[in-house]
Amino acid sequence: MTLLFDTRYLFVRSLKKLFRNPILLFFSLFQPIIFLVLFTQLFHSLNLLPGFPPGVSYLEYASAGILLQNAFSSALQSGTSIVEDLNSGFLQKMLVTQVSRPAILLGRLTTDAFRVTVQSAIILCLAYVLGFRIQTGVLGLLLILFIVAFFGLAWSGISLALGLRTKSAETVFGIGAFLTFPLLFMSTALVPVGFMPTWMQSVSNVNPISYAVNAVRDLSLPNYFSWSAEVSALAFIAGIAVVTMGITLYLFKKVVS
Amino acid sequence: MSNTQSSVSRPIIDVKDLVEVYADGTKAVDGVSFNVEKGEFFGFLGPNGAGKSTTIKVLTTLLRKTSGSISIAGYDIDKDPVAIRKLIGVQSQDTSVDPELTGRENMILQGNLQQMHGKELKERVEQLLEVVGLKDAADKRAGRYSGGMKKRLDLASTLVHKPTVLFLDEPTTGLDPQSRATVWEYLEGLNKKEGITIFLTTQYLEEADRLCERLCIVDSGKIVAEGTPSDLKREIGADAISISMKNKQGRSDETVKAAAREIVSKMPEVVNVLDSGDGLTIYAKEGGYFIPELVRAFDKTDIALVSINLSTPSLDDVFLKHTGKRIRVEELVKDTTSGRFGGRRR
Repeated sequence: MTLLFDTRYLFVRSLKKLFRNPILLFFSLFQPIIFLVLFTQLFHSLNLLPGFPPGVSYLEYASAGILLQNAFSSALQSGTSIVEDLNSGFLQKMLVTQVSRPAILLGRLTTDAFRVTVQSAIILCLAYVLGFRIQTGVLGLLLILFIVAFFGLAWSGISLALGLRTKSAETVFGIGAFLTFPLLFMSTALVPVGFMPTWMQSVSNVNPISYAVNAVRDLSLPNYFSWSAEVSALAFIAGIAVVTMGITLYLFKKVVS
Repeated sequence: MSNTQSSVSRPIIDVKDLVEVYADGTKAVDGVSFNVEKGEFFGFLGPNGAGKSTTIKVLTTLLRKTSGSISIAGYDIDKDPVAIRKLIGVQSQDTSVDPELTGRENMILQGNLQQMHGKELKERVEQLLEVVGLKDAADKRAGRYSGGMKKRLDLASTLVHKPTVLFLDEPTTGLDPQSRATVWEYLEGLNKKEGITIFLTTQYLEEADRLCERLCIVDSGKIVAEGTPSDLKREIGADAISISMKNKQGRSDETVKAAAREIVSKMPEVVNVLDSGDGLTIYAKEGGYFIPELVRAFDKTDIALVSINLSTPSLDDVFLKHTGKRIRVEELVKDTTSGRFGGRRR
């Protein structure tokens, strides 16, 4: 019970901080919105190429990728907040209270999940205006939001671990930015795997972003959905989450002890 | 309450042979033993790097000790850290308030994390905001507060859950003299009126002297002296009495001073006499008893005493005696050891 209450208190705290710094939200959303509005226009003829799913516009194709790119890059900023608390002494201040230790991480993670969900909803609204429709209905929409948030959470773990290890917001930020684009471009986020040179295809085939993107895309396009693909994507993300959360918990325990 | 806690004689903080060795091999705390009685205002005085902050971190469950034993309010720190966290309030050296939350929100969060809720918490927060003078600024974000205000908010937020023991790690470092005096007054009030046991670390001599009923002087991870400030200073042996004088004609020149010096030097209590520019500084044992004698001695002459200043030896003299060094800090408040005759010396 204490865990739940404490998580809620810290969730509310992070949320207040987030909304009182709208500039942060703005900058996180800036990039996906540019992608959504400009990129999809720039490459709108891509669907004329052979190998592109027939009858699908580039906007419909790329929306899934843009959603996950946003989740990925937002999640990779998560660690900066724990660095801030570490360096300001606020973490210590929490640790001398009887607050449940895991709640400190959970409060953070729930905020991240919430943030990614809200950002995704904004992106989806904009995509809707531009003509994007989710073909699997409301359930599909909910499942998309779930996958995107879950994917974000898995990577929040990496960012938190980095923050706890390096104690430097710049490093966390830098590594996040450094990882985002190579992983994004070497995935099926923006083009079908068949468009890539062979070596890049093999990267894309093991790229977690590809898995998550395919799962979301299958939900948004007509006649692609299959439970087995969804479940295996979720299992893959869960695998990442277990590893990143494990590292985070280990490092957090070292800080807490 | 556990039965261990009700045993009256047991000190509220009991530390035996505490050793803290860092991963790099540095011995930050090197075999420290002390205890603090319930309701006591207790201090650790020492220079930077003496191990004060490390000791506080270990006592407040932030850092695991290398060896030794610690019990707080009867709870063993290894077995029951959570019970200890419920009872203690901690203000760390660096002010830590959330800049994006308002003053009130900071305090409510702190209360929530100490499992206080609802009306009880709300009333407590309002009361504390009043006490630390932040009521008007309570709805401003703490990031916009001045340094002194942040410090007060930090202190107030450690008090929300009504701790029985308060740990303060250099609570006035970086404060201007006026804010410092305010904090002192407030801390004294907490200790005297609310009976909160206070453990304080400081590198300021005046702070230790003014606030602590009993203190340990620490250096390089070891306790070098322990006692009440007045006992510690009495060890030094002599008090300093500064006087200025003029003769019945209203002159105060070198000849008058020389005459005064001759009178003083003959008195048996006097250990040493030095020229202090506009007067004399006399070192004598038991300065308080010596002053009437001094006044009487001048009564019979044509020299009038214009001022008498009694200052006891400072804790720095004690530190010097035990370590051969001085605690070197820029004292923000000048005139650290002297008070007007009849002032607040103990």
